[in-house]
Amino acid sequence: MGEESFYILFPNVTEGLKLEKLLKENAVKYTIVPTPRELSKSCGISIMYEFRDDSLIKRIAEEHGIRTEGFKSLIRKKADVKFI
Amino acid sequence: MADYRELWSNLGMDLEKHDLLCEALPQLFGGVYLIQENRPEGMNYYNFVVSEVHGLRIKELDDHKKAGGKVVGTFCVFVPDELILAAGAIGVGLCGGSQFWIEDGEKVLPRNLCPLVKAIVGAKISGTCPYFQSCDLLTGETTCDGKKKAYEVLGEYAPVYVMDLPQMKRDKDYKKWEEEIYEYKAVLEGLTGNKITEEKLGSAIKLCNTKRAALQRLYNARKALNVPISGKDALLVSQIAFYDNPERFIEMTNKLCDELEDRIKKGIGAASEKSPRIMITGTPMAIPNWKMHHLIEESGAVVVCEETCTGTRYFENEVDETQTTMEGMIKALADRYMNINCACFTPNKGREEDIVRLAKEYGADGVVYCNLQFCHTYNIEYRQVEKALKEAGIPVIFIETDYSNDDTGQLKTRIEAFLEMLK
Repeated sequence: MGEESFYILFPNVTEGLKLEKLLKENAVKYTIVPTPRELSKSCGISIMYEFRDDSLIKRIAEEHGIRTEGFKSLIRKKADVKFI
Repeated sequence: MADYRELWSNLGMDLEKHDLLCEALPQLFGGVYLIQENRPEGMNYYNFVVSEVHGLRIKELDDHKKAGGKVVGTFCVFVPDELILAAGAIGVGLCGGSQFWIEDGEKVLPRNLCPLVKAIVGAKISGTCPYFQSCDLLTGETTCDGKKKAYEVLGEYAPVYVMDLPQMKRDKDYKKWEEEIYEYKAVLEGLTGNKITEEKLGSAIKLCNTKRAALQRLYNARKALNVPISGKDALLVSQIAFYDNPERFIEMTNKLCDELEDRIKKGIGAASEKSPRIMITGTPMAIPNWKMHHLIEESGAVVVCEETCTGTRYFENEVDETQTTMEGMIKALADRYMNINCACFTPNKGREEDIVRLAKEYGADGVVYCNLQFCHTYNIEYRQVEKALKEAGIPVIFIETDYSNDDTGQLKTRIEAFLEMLK
């Protein structure tokens, strides 16, 4: 079993960057990541966050009218790195 | 999520095949980069660029082209970015760092050839690299025999112009490179319809020097006892420097450096102070080639410097900014670029001196000499480099590899044994 990770998906990169700015202003820890394939088939950014900040981030996103394509989670199995 | 499929389709890409690459990247990036603990927050920008590697930047190139601008692809740190910028074009570094493109490259090239060369050609002919597809001109150069001859094959698929780089460093060679730069200037003016004026070239020289200074600042931070950034993160920054918007890259890299300098003051390191410090030297590591850094850092060491084309050779030495005439500026460009110590030159004593100097500057405990398979010049030059390092009392290991996963187990064992020896 792997650890559960939490992601926010966006309809476009602009919405993602808007939320990133707000998270930075509110000192919320986050990491920009390539969208995991399991969550969406489109390439582009997602924001990975810690679950303890879940309700805070949802509130910030709502207050500022940030459009997302959902808050999602994924259990990632630790696999060997495969170089491409 | 953003949908770039229409954009890719307009660029004539093979969407189905490209999708396989899109599928593999998040997994690889997660396994190499996101597993790291205590990364600088400033790395979020570079995570962003990688996540949007075939998206947002391609859209920017597309917007530039729609406004009448041109995009020029390059493959080597000898091709002066300054001229491309001064012509109002956008330059993108196109070196292929992925195993994904090897198979297609081997359809038109011999198998026993450097993976970087095969990947370059494979990326173009497979229609899976939107950067290649965006280029109005590809600029090659006569560095190694592999690339030199591969440009003839590439020329069947896209417009290619080749600069003739001298392979010795006599006065007449400097003059010859100056002439080549003049000719390239005319080619770019013809392509873009823009005249390269003294004013434009002067500004481009300043911009490229500022970018070099930002990269030098990043590398300077890695000299600290408590290295504030992992080698693989620093490598990613260098790789992104080749295709990002220069102004934005400079701004974000300086922001990252502010954070790194603060981490040094606070004693926050990306690795333990006891981790062996490794310097890498050898052939270039184009994105997404993170193989050696990953294997070395997963074995408990930290990479503190790269004497490679995707490292110090890209940014050391600035172009003289005091020149005001076209002749003076072109000569200043030739002098700066001819000062790069690539193994395609003979003799190449300067590289041995660079390696020993850098190993000392960065406090390296050992040097890993990485050679891409079938790269004869770097392979042969190992003998002299090994001798120079031995005289300086610095341990070195020679590793020859490609982009595949076939040898990772064996390489890890060799690296671990080398690191054990350094203790």
